[in-house]
Amino acid sequence: MKKIINTPERFIPEMLEGIYAAHPDDLMCVNGDLHCLVTKHKQAGKVGIATGGGSGHLPLFLGYVGKGMLDGCSIGDVFQSPSAEQMLAVTKEIDQGAGVLYIYGNYNGDIFNFDMAAEMADMEEDIRVESVVAGEDVASAAPSAEGEPNKRRGVAGIFFVYKCAGAAAAEGRDLDQVKAAAEKACANVRTMGVALSSCTVPRVGHPSFEIGEDEMEIGMGIHGEPGIRRGKLKTADEMTDEMLEPILSDIPYKAGDEVAVLINGLGATPLEEQYVMFRRVKQILDGKGISIWHTYVGEFATSMEMAGASISLLRLDDELKGWLAAPVDTPFFKQFQL
Amino acid sequence: MNAAELKGLLAAWAALMNEKKEWLIELDSVVGDSDLGLTMSDGFAAAAEAVSASDVTDVGKLAYQAGKAMATAVPSTMGTLMASGLMNAGKQLKGQEEAADADFFEAWYDGVQNRGKAQPGEKTFLDGMLPAVQALKAGKTPEETAEIAWSAFEGTKGMLAKHGRMAIRGEASRELLDPGAAVAALLMKGYAEYRGKQ
Repeated sequence: MKKIINTPERFIPEMLEGIYAAHPDDLMCVNGDLHCLVTKHKQAGKVGIATGGGSGHLPLFLGYVGKGMLDGCSIGDVFQSPSAEQMLAVTKEIDQGAGVLYIYGNYNGDIFNFDMAAEMADMEEDIRVESVVAGEDVASAAPSAEGEPNKRRGVAGIFFVYKCAGAAAAEGRDLDQVKAAAEKACANVRTMGVALSSCTVPRVGHPSFEIGEDEMEIGMGIHGEPGIRRGKLKTADEMTDEMLEPILSDIPYKAGDEVAVLINGLGATPLEEQYVMFRRVKQILDGKGISIWHTYVGEFATSMEMAGASISLLRLDDELKGWLAAPVDTPFFKQFQL
Repeated sequence: MNAAELKGLLAAWAALMNEKKEWLIELDSVVGDSDLGLTMSDGFAAAAEAVSASDVTDVGKLAYQAGKAMATAVPSTMGTLMASGLMNAGKQLKGQEEAADADFFEAWYDGVQNRGKAQPGEKTFLDGMLPAVQALKAGKTPEETAEIAWSAFEGTKGMLAKHGRMAIRGEASRELLDPGAAVAALLMKGYAEYRGKQ
């Protein structure tokens, strides 16, 4: 293991100390617990939006706490859910009487804890909480049948869900409307990833999985969950073709549709390679008559030092475009009005 | 079951989970991330510790406090599920200074089931726990109940997993014993040993 750390046990608290020290005007913790992070920029009367999850994915999750996006985030150890108690502390801090929306990824540990926190908020604090669980990784499961729970993992596409819900909340919409905005983004976003090398969890000390020098795994999750296919490394274009096809066939697309594209590096893949990938995405979408309304390229949801990337597409209408266009200012992500 | 007995039981479970830590790690490492042994020993230790000095006589309130302490100490999947069981037992038994053992374990089962949304037969904790709850309700002794729970745990071999990492194995999961059901079997073993010593 080769990392810039002091000790594996102190990795997360020391990372958090660094983040609070770097952004003292924007972020603070609740009750002295570094794992409960909230924005310093409160907007009176606004619906609060909280997220949370394990560490190891920066800028996900805490990086999206700030103006125009989220109000708070509870932070777990590497790839481990934070506790319901920590989620509750964040909830209490960000509630301004308009209720709180939880947006988080579709993982059992997170679901159980957020559900428990929502019950505590209701029983102990009389705070109304609604939840939207993002799960848009097309490689992780088949689409769920009507009435069945969604089994797909939540990955980089949650960025779009935060963005749309955050903009709706900043506009002053109520809890039901902000929840509907988040659900609309969820319904229109799809993601697929590829992994070229493993990450190493500091407390484990060795790579999470073995993958050959000349191999790639299409569809792998951001904690190293199995993908669709392990095979020989292909060219960027072939890889992109294989990733984009299931995204485009999962929801109906037609010529004239508009999308936002998110190319996301998993941690060890340079921007250069990500732009090579985007080039091919543009070619394919051009060929189908789908126009790209806005493009994001960079690191949005990583898996520590994993090499690889994911592609997310958000199918747009005027309402979603309006939310996507709204300005954002967080320590990790900034956007002017589009 | 009164508050003093619940405290004694939690201490007994903490000791047993600590003693069986390596065995649980071994069971879990086949498909999981092998943290189950640590989660259960740390979780029950935290639950027992949180109420050990309490003078609360309400069994429900005590169970709720113990559950919350466990949820805070071990927010992993299985940790949160066990905490949900204890907290639901707390909600259901609130206001009682003496509760029936069967009611306590039934509320625990319901709390886990509501949180995890699994059904019996899907190779989970529930498959070890349900026969035990039914046995207690039918008037079986703690010792008989513990034996029934242990056989039920062994009976998870052959079941098809529907949840968690084991489900990724598909048909191959039938070969495996379920670590969650092992926790249920240990709970009933600890319970029988505690009652036996009284």
